[in-house]
Amino acid sequence: MAKGHTKIFASCFVVLLLVTALLLFQAGTLIAQEPNPAGADYFPQYIQPVFEQKCFSCHNGESSVSKLDLTSREGLMRGGAKGPAVVAGNAENSLLYKSITHESQPFMPMGMNRLSQQEVDRIAAWIDAGAQYAVASSAGGQEDEEWIKGQKLFSESVQPLFESTCLKCHSPETKASGLDLSTRDAVLAGGENGKVIEPGRAKDSKLYKAVAHIAEPHMPFRSERLPQETIDSLAQWVDAGAPFEGKLEASSGAIRSTHWAFQSPRGPSVPQVKNQAWVRNPVDAFVSAKRQEKGLEPVGPADKRTLLRRVYLDLVGLPPTQEEMQAFLDDDSPNAYAKMVEKLLDSPRYGERWGRHWMDVWRYSDWYGWPEQNQVRYSHRHVWRWRDWIVESLNDDKSYDRMVREMIAGDELEPENEDMVRATGYLARNWYMFNRNVWLQNTVEYTASSFLGITLKCARCHDHKYDPLLQTDYYRFRAFFEPHKIRMDRVPGEPDTMKNGLSRAYDAEAGAQTYRFIRGNENNPDEAHPLSPGVPRMFGNPDLRIEPKDLPPDVYYPAIREFVHKDLLAKAEKDIKEAETSLAEAKKELAEIKDKLAEANRSEPRLLADGNRAVEAAGAEEVSATDKELLDGLRHAEDKVALAEKRVVAARADLPALEARIAADKAKYGTLSDADVDALAATALKKEREARILKAEADMLEARQELTEALLNPNPKPEDEKAAKEQSVKKDGKEDDEKKFADEKRIKEAQSKLQAALDALKGPGETYTAIGESYPRTTTGRRTALARWIANKENPLTARVAVNHIWLRHFGEGIVSTMFNFGSSGQAPSNPELLDWLAMEFMDSGWSMKHMHRLMVSSNTYQMLSSAPTESANREKDPDNIYLWRMNPRRMEAEAVRDSLLYLSGQLESDMGGEEIAADKGQELFRRSLYFQHTPDTQMTFLRLWDAASPNECFRRSESITPHQALSLSNSKLSLEMSRTLAGIVNDTVGSSPDSASEFVGNTFDKLLGRLPTDEERTESETYIREQTALYVDAGDLKRFETGEKNEKVPPASDPHLRARESFVHVMFNHNDFVTIR
Amino acid sequence: MKQRLPFASTGCCGPSRRVFLADAGMGFTGLALGSMLARDGIAASPTHETWAPPDGKPHFAPKAKRVIWIFMLGGVSHIESFDPKPAITKYGGKTIAETPHKDVLRSTFVKENVQALEAGNTRHLRMNLFPLQIGHRKRGQSGIEVSDWWPHVGECVDDLSVIRSMWTTDNDHGAILQFHTGRHIFDGYLPTVGSWVHYGLGSLNDNLPQFMVLGEPPGDCCGGTGAHGAGYLGPENAGVPIEVDPDNPLPFASPGPDVYEAEQKREFELLKRLNRLAGVEYPDDPKMRARIKSYELAFRMQTAVPEAMRFKEESEETKRLYGLDHNVTQPFGEVCLAARRMSERGVRFVQVYHGTSSNKWDAHKALKKSYTDLCEKVDKPIAGLLKDLKQRGMLDDTLVVWATEFGRTPGAEGASGRDHHPYGFSIWMAGGGVKGGHVHGATDELGFHAVENRHYVTDSHATVLHQLGIDPRKLEVPGRKRLDIDFGNPIKDILV
Repeated sequence: MAKGHTKIFASCFVVLLLVTALLLFQAGTLIAQEPNPAGADYFPQYIQPVFEQKCFSCHNGESSVSKLDLTSREGLMRGGAKGPAVVAGNAENSLLYKSITHESQPFMPMGMNRLSQQEVDRIAAWIDAGAQYAVASSAGGQEDEEWIKGQKLFSESVQPLFESTCLKCHSPETKASGLDLSTRDAVLAGGENGKVIEPGRAKDSKLYKAVAHIAEPHMPFRSERLPQETIDSLAQWVDAGAPFEGKLEASSGAIRSTHWAFQSPRGPSVPQVKNQAWVRNPVDAFVSAKRQEKGLEPVGPADKRTLLRRVYLDLVGLPPTQEEMQAFLDDDSPNAYAKMVEKLLDSPRYGERWGRHWMDVWRYSDWYGWPEQNQVRYSHRHVWRWRDWIVESLNDDKSYDRMVREMIAGDELEPENEDMVRATGYLARNWYMFNRNVWLQNTVEYTASSFLGITLKCARCHDHKYDPLLQTDYYRFRAFFEPHKIRMDRVPGEPDTMKNGLSRAYDAEAGAQTYRFIRGNENNPDEAHPLSPGVPRMFGNPDLRIEPKDLPPDVYYPAIREFVHKDLLAKAEKDIKEAETSLAEAKKELAEIKDKLAEANRSEPRLLADGNRAVEAAGAEEVSATDKELLDGLRHAEDKVALAEKRVVAARADLPALEARIAADKAKYGTLSDADVDALAATALKKEREARILKAEADMLEARQELTEALLNPNPKPEDEKAAKEQSVKKDGKEDDEKKFADEKRIKEAQSKLQAALDALKGPGETYTAIGESYPRTTTGRRTALARWIANKENPLTARVAVNHIWLRHFGEGIVSTMFNFGSSGQAPSNPELLDWLAMEFMDSGWSMKHMHRLMVSSNTYQMLSSAPTESANREKDPDNIYLWRMNPRRMEAEAVRDSLLYLSGQLESDMGGEEIAADKGQELFRRSLYFQHTPDTQMTFLRLWDAASPNECFRRSESITPHQALSLSNSKLSLEMSRTLAGIVNDTVGSSPDSASEFVGNTFDKLLGRLPTDEERTESETYIREQTALYVDAGDLKRFETGEKNEKVPPASDPHLRARESFVHVMFNHNDFVTIR
Repeated sequence: MKQRLPFASTGCCGPSRRVFLADAGMGFTGLALGSMLARDGIAASPTHETWAPPDGKPHFAPKAKRVIWIFMLGGVSHIESFDPKPAITKYGGKTIAETPHKDVLRSTFVKENVQALEAGNTRHLRMNLFPLQIGHRKRGQSGIEVSDWWPHVGECVDDLSVIRSMWTTDNDHGAILQFHTGRHIFDGYLPTVGSWVHYGLGSLNDNLPQFMVLGEPPGDCCGGTGAHGAGYLGPENAGVPIEVDPDNPLPFASPGPDVYEAEQKREFELLKRLNRLAGVEYPDDPKMRARIKSYELAFRMQTAVPEAMRFKEESEETKRLYGLDHNVTQPFGEVCLAARRMSERGVRFVQVYHGTSSNKWDAHKALKKSYTDLCEKVDKPIAGLLKDLKQRGMLDDTLVVWATEFGRTPGAEGASGRDHHPYGFSIWMAGGGVKGGHVHGATDELGFHAVENRHYVTDSHATVLHQLGIDPRKLEVPGRKRLDIDFGNPIKDILV
């Protein structure tokens, strides 16, 4: 129990502290409107009169009660019998304060009323500000020597220190950790973590401790400790009460970093190496030089077969066909390989292969969210247009810098060029339904990591711990994106943007403010200091040239475009036709049921043709079930006709309304000259109202009919046994009530809609509904400026990061292995000169990616063997092949595995682009894998098992080896079906007689692995086919797998020998060398 | 230069061709093995003449047969779980310097304990003490204090050895990788504790992976799949992730009724022979070896995994024990139940992760709220696992380890959280020959530094391997130097 009490006490104590803090805080804000409590006139004006009236009578130099003399600062600081009367800078802990607030004895002023709250607040503020007696204090009469000394220290050393060093991060704009050092008020106010100085007490001041490296964070940030004399001056200044004059500004000069990646690439000269014969191009020279330095010897070149398969899979993601392989083997010309490389780079398959790589880096994801409700929560509908843009751009060898600019700001660069605007799918991908901050967070952080290789995300909550990136840098970077949003424009041929459309970025709010979130907390924005767009300060202060741009009407009002009108009109006409067709069908149905009634009457005249009334007259109990059905049918049919008629009328009214709205729109947006804008708008409004009323009437009728139906037939006849069963379980009538309630609700809604339409007809002015949404007429140019800065030769990171990504995907390992982090917490480059040379070459080539591919795959480095003797000196020196003394063998990526399966079996479709295909169709539809839906929620299982990219973040793929992969190749419908299909293809070449088994084996090896079998392999395989044939001949007793589905479309061959060949091909698709790039 | 992360490591010390052939079961006839060896000069003496891979047998009599390794991602607050510190509450609101325990700041551990990314750049130490956010009480016969966020595990305290004196060096989440490999993330992706077990010991059940991973692995920042990887031991020794989804226990589990079982069996046999023949060209390729093994396992997993995931076989009572009857506890309850079923079937090392990006133990803010939720999700399932193992008599030879990458600061981060704390934190072990109701080691009064019987993370590895009967030094791979700290030392005091 005792413990329980302690806890309660403890928490009360905390509450008390909080309350006190809150009160003090409020007091502080009150005082803030008054003169500066640190100012020279504060003491004489506010404090001295109180002291004179209430204190000096006892506490003066002559008759100082308890030895306390309050007439000078010296006396105040020296204090009395109980110690100093005040702790400068800390009212709360000052005896004087405690006495006047009656927090502790003796309560002061003794024998008088308590001081007023205002007096107390002022004294508190004065103590907090250092308890300075004015220099010209009439009471003190003497100058405070300490203070004067402090002023000297300030101007001689503190001010220069602050201006040259501290204010870069602690200015009113930057305010790192919430701390601003530009004025005395601001210094005294401290930062997010509380006060930084205690005037009069340097040793207790955070500022001193940080600068003296006594406590974290050590200051200046990421720099050498200051000279001891500077630190001492700072301490003496604080001890002197921290006098301060005016408002300081940072002297020019950016935050400097010596880290390699933040310096521009130097453009190293190509080294001369001993083994000059080995050097085919500069890549080889750099690799060779590094090897030489490490004492490594390169292995020999790969054979032609291995090389061709390698470069095919590398550049187009598919293996060479047998014919292509043969042609290459037969081509003895010296440029045989170079010709092949050109052919592959020219192939549209190249864009698909490398497009997928860049989709990893740029974290492509199709939309996802709540599929049942078709609700997009992340990314955007039709974002596949961006994927197509990536593929096409690569195939066109669009320069990388231009690609970056188009993705970040394509809508600003050429607003009307929708081919380019597709690129802003890059931004649309970050869209997030529930939280704008998360959306921008991803935009900021992934733009920084994928293009610049900096981990800006660390600076969301605090200054970066390892790189000179400030928290304000993060938010200034965000400010580039602050105005932008994503919208959906119509595309020709489809007025419904749910079905098709173009998601694009646009600047929605030019004036949107960006605030630093204190400690990254979005609920705590630093609203006093809005931030303008800017690049991280360590990059200096480049001229960003942010220029707003006017947009054409087609862009700010996309519904004015001709095709939109055309499509909408066509749809209205189609709606009329459909309504008319429905009416005709309803009439036909009614005629049929009337015929049936007439027939029933003829055979047994008990019903009149107009049914109901006669039956009612006859009494309900006499109505048989058959009769009821007929009568219900009649009523339904009549209702249907009535409704269909209304719908036709409504649909017919829609067309003129639409035409009138279009005319009014055209007048308004100036594509119709000399038009009477107001008159056309009025007409549009009138016609729209008419159409709306007619539609409301139809809706109303429908609702009424449904309600009548619900009342007449509360328990509709169960459709099938299952429903009946369910119904028998739920007999409490709750569902009926719910249904009735829902029906009533619906009719009420219909009624109110009708009423609204009727009201609108009577009511005063309203405007017609415009054809589409209108958007701002200008765009801010912020993203253009950012994109220009990123995609720029002056940027030290952009080209390096890009070439490193390309290198990784050719060589299996990056030069920098932390692709997303080139900062000081990332890995150092294994060959810095090579990286820099590649970066320079990339930029000099006009950022041509095809140039870089050509360079890399043409190098001798690329053409080395990937295997090596088990025992070699190289292995001892460089076991992980960091310095490339051989090629790295790799495993095919997920897409390459699936695509190659299909391709070799002649089934891969070559159609490019278009809407994403449902992920669960991956086993039946044979498009390339990159065209299938790929989101964090939904991915093709087959691809996922082969380490497909995480759509949230994938700078490099992992390369696992799991039993699941084995099962996906052995048991999937896809692999079984492709094996059977491919066996058929090989049979067509070699013939299907058992004599050709050897040829079949050789051909299959050649096709699937790009090599011929060894003798042992051939023997094994032939034996297998023979024995497997025997197995199928006697298949009668064999046990089949019990679970899973039969493949009706491509069943196994019935002929045992052919089936054995299929089985062999299936084994070959599972061969390790099939998924391996040697 | 910093060492690189060998993502694409192919290993220098892959087995020689001879070993490859032997290991891949090259025992079939019709193959001119001798001539092949001669052709490649392999018959000549290799450098590591005396070295041979482990034979799969323990080096000495084991106390435990298997391990369930439960790892909480993000860093669980030790002071609010298994190492309560009333002093923090007592001095709540004060700075550490204002308490009688201010010496902790002067301890040499402050600098020496941490290998920050950059020298001297220690993370904020968080000076303002933040009162404990939850109560705690003595539990069980042993009276070990456990917080009120862990009432169910608290009921099992008499089966636990709580180790309150762990320390690590990485003050960021790379410490996840560090806990599993024993090295700072800068040293690369080295073999993890589970992979050493896999490498060192034979399988108890050839139909299931010997090293299985349940739950979502950490992100790439913090080791990713490397936290259950095998580094230079090669991917065949890496953990195999299995999704706990009783409705779809294994994708592509069957080729369908078009296929005969015997047909598939023969296909796998041919595949093995062909892969081995091709592998002769690449005797150093650990990926080839791993691929061959993955097929052997896949063949048997087709039936074994769906069988092992058949939760409906369990009694209602058992399901309740794991909290499967409640939607809060069900997800992790299923993971824990799967861990028991896998262990029961002979999976040697089950590594269970808990804590994803949306569900993290990394309570920089709102610690109270997030831990209230998180503990409710895992406390009952973990306790259920312990109780279930015990009632089945499995706890005696199953070593359960509960761990996390570091603790959390006694001081406040912001208004409501705690920061990373590598200087002292808690883990516990149960079963498998460790004492019950036992506390080992201690932190100081503030829970700041591990001060008594300090243990670096690899001591947990050494303890696990020791209980399994393995001497890690006998597993050493030629050419891959291990430091003393990589091996660690068994925590003898907690052993029965």
